[in-house]
Amino acid sequence: MGCMPMTSSFVFLMRYSKRMMDPHKNSFRRKVRPHERFIEIMLFFCALLSIIITVGIVVILVKESWLFFKNPQVTLKEFFTSKKWQPMIGDFGFLPLLNATFTTSIIAMSLGVPIGLFVAIYLSEYASEKTRAVLKPILEILAGIPSIVFGYFALTFMTPLLRGIFNAERVEIYNTASAGLVIGILVLPLIATMAEDAIGAVPKELRLAAYALGSTKLETVFQIVIPAAISGISATFLLAFSRAIGETMVVALAAGAGPNFTYNPFRSAETITGYIVRISGGDVSYNSIDYNSIFALGLVLFIITFALNFISRRISERFRQEYE
Amino acid sequence: MKKLVILFIALSTLMPIFAAGTEQQKPAAKGGKLAWIEEPFIYGLPGVNPIKVTGNIITAGSSTVYPLSERMAERFKEEGYSGTITIDSIGSGAGFERFCVAGETDISNASRPIKAGEINSARKIGREPIEFRVGTDALAVVVNKSNTFIKNATKQELAKIFGGARLWSDVNPSWPRQPILRFIPGTDSGTFDYFVEEIFANKPEPILAASNVQLSEDDNILVQGIKGSSYAIGFFGYAYYVENADALNILSIEGIPASAKNVDNGTYPLARPLFLYSDANIMRSKPQVAAFIDYYLSYVNEEVVDVGYFPAPEAALNASRQAWLKAMEGLY
Repeated sequence: MGCMPMTSSFVFLMRYSKRMMDPHKNSFRRKVRPHERFIEIMLFFCALLSIIITVGIVVILVKESWLFFKNPQVTLKEFFTSKKWQPMIGDFGFLPLLNATFTTSIIAMSLGVPIGLFVAIYLSEYASEKTRAVLKPILEILAGIPSIVFGYFALTFMTPLLRGIFNAERVEIYNTASAGLVIGILVLPLIATMAEDAIGAVPKELRLAAYALGSTKLETVFQIVIPAAISGISATFLLAFSRAIGETMVVALAAGAGPNFTYNPFRSAETITGYIVRISGGDVSYNSIDYNSIFALGLVLFIITFALNFISRRISERFRQEYE
Repeated sequence: MKKLVILFIALSTLMPIFAAGTEQQKPAAKGGKLAWIEEPFIYGLPGVNPIKVTGNIITAGSSTVYPLSERMAERFKEEGYSGTITIDSIGSGAGFERFCVAGETDISNASRPIKAGEINSARKIGREPIEFRVGTDALAVVVNKSNTFIKNATKQELAKIFGGARLWSDVNPSWPRQPILRFIPGTDSGTFDYFVEEIFANKPEPILAASNVQLSEDDNILVQGIKGSSYAIGFFGYAYYVENADALNILSIEGIPASAKNVDNGTYPLARPLFLYSDANIMRSKPQVAAFIDYYLSYVNEEVVDVGYFPAPEAALNASRQAWLKAMEGLY
């Protein structure tokens, strides 16, 4: 997914360096510089450290979830098929949590994807420099708001709004629709900026060619530019989706605090992250099944987001179109 | 400048001597008064000067008593106590385990009276538990202000409302055919334990298996939830009801409303006493423990309502003070 911004900055660099290059300085030869070697090694260790940390997290997740799954009360079949989750009394079906997680994320994406994409198209194709100068910083401010603030925004603004529109008795005070919509707002800047990078990386020649063939601006954008940038855009969507799945504070505050298997977005339901935050926030003893269960759920969550990130990488590699 | 340096050196060499001076006051307890005692006496108990109290205090037990003990410890420190008070919130039972069996703690916090078996195990390790009543908690069962159909509930009804019933009409046919939305404290909390013990005979299965249950350690989330629907119900410490009395209705239990009077005379069914337990030998050998309990019993009524509980009946509090005086005979 990083290829789009990279190509654009590469093009920029090439153009820029032509002006910068000084013919007198072109002749200098490669010298041995020991401090550069030192910096190189240091950078390598920093990279290594981030890999070690990732491996460490995975090892701990697997080790602790093993404690959960080896418990004789827990069977894999129940874990993946039962619709009841209440580890303290021996109900170990994680479907209600998974269902709520996907409900909130899908609602989030159905708001975030179209708006984010349109913002990106507007910013890169239509907006004048002046408008861009105003819009971009505002988007960045939106991206910088802590998610706990979004949580209270869901609880104190979005929920009352939904209850005002759809009758307070039908919409419960904690509900997945409110949390989902607010997560949609939360991922919007991410989608907008990344999709804008993808669209901006489409070479100008392609647009000019489309105009030369007589297409209008709208036709150029939707039939030439977007299809050309589709790999970057779809990778963006998948990344945003995995961000929505992992979002914690908004759902912990606004979606509900009890596992509940329901497809109704106006009812309360607890997501995977919401459950983890509730159990780890309390004073649970370390060897209880409740405590071990949060690691098993953490592992499931990790696998889901890892798979999404992996797919998003593959898409951007496979469908990437080279123009240079 | 030089003079200043000399003065500084002189002071720093004299410091240990001053410090030794205060150290030496401690053994003086053998002969007569404890170092930290000062005039005047409060409610018959010697006054405490927290600045002169030294040494650490270890307490553990009920999570209900925890906020009260924490408040008292904070005030004790603010007034000059420089030691460390450990307050572990592990539940009354686990607290007694550490006080009576392991013998690790100086004070045991409890939201129920000590059991005979626990007294026996305490005696085996040479401890004779002394009970200090410090306050009363009234569990509040609350509904939304707009809820008009329920004003009172019996214990059987509570078991149905928080247990098996899905609709309000399942409990009482004259109530609406609407799902019951339950907002209850999390399973880690002492309030959850107490409710399960009192209403469900100590079996958490029915309350956890019920539909539409929201559990939270954060009582404000429960308050928000109950404020949000006419068909919601929940329970928590009385303090949270008082804070939100404009939006919530409190139910009377078995026809008895939760009032200071009914809590005092013990008729409110979900009222429970809050205790500290200690032992005379610990109090005499670690005077800081005696000082803290003394301080607790002197000022608890100034803090208890603010923390969210009710004052213990005056007679019970006086009995606690008498118990302190008896345990510390000859040292004040």
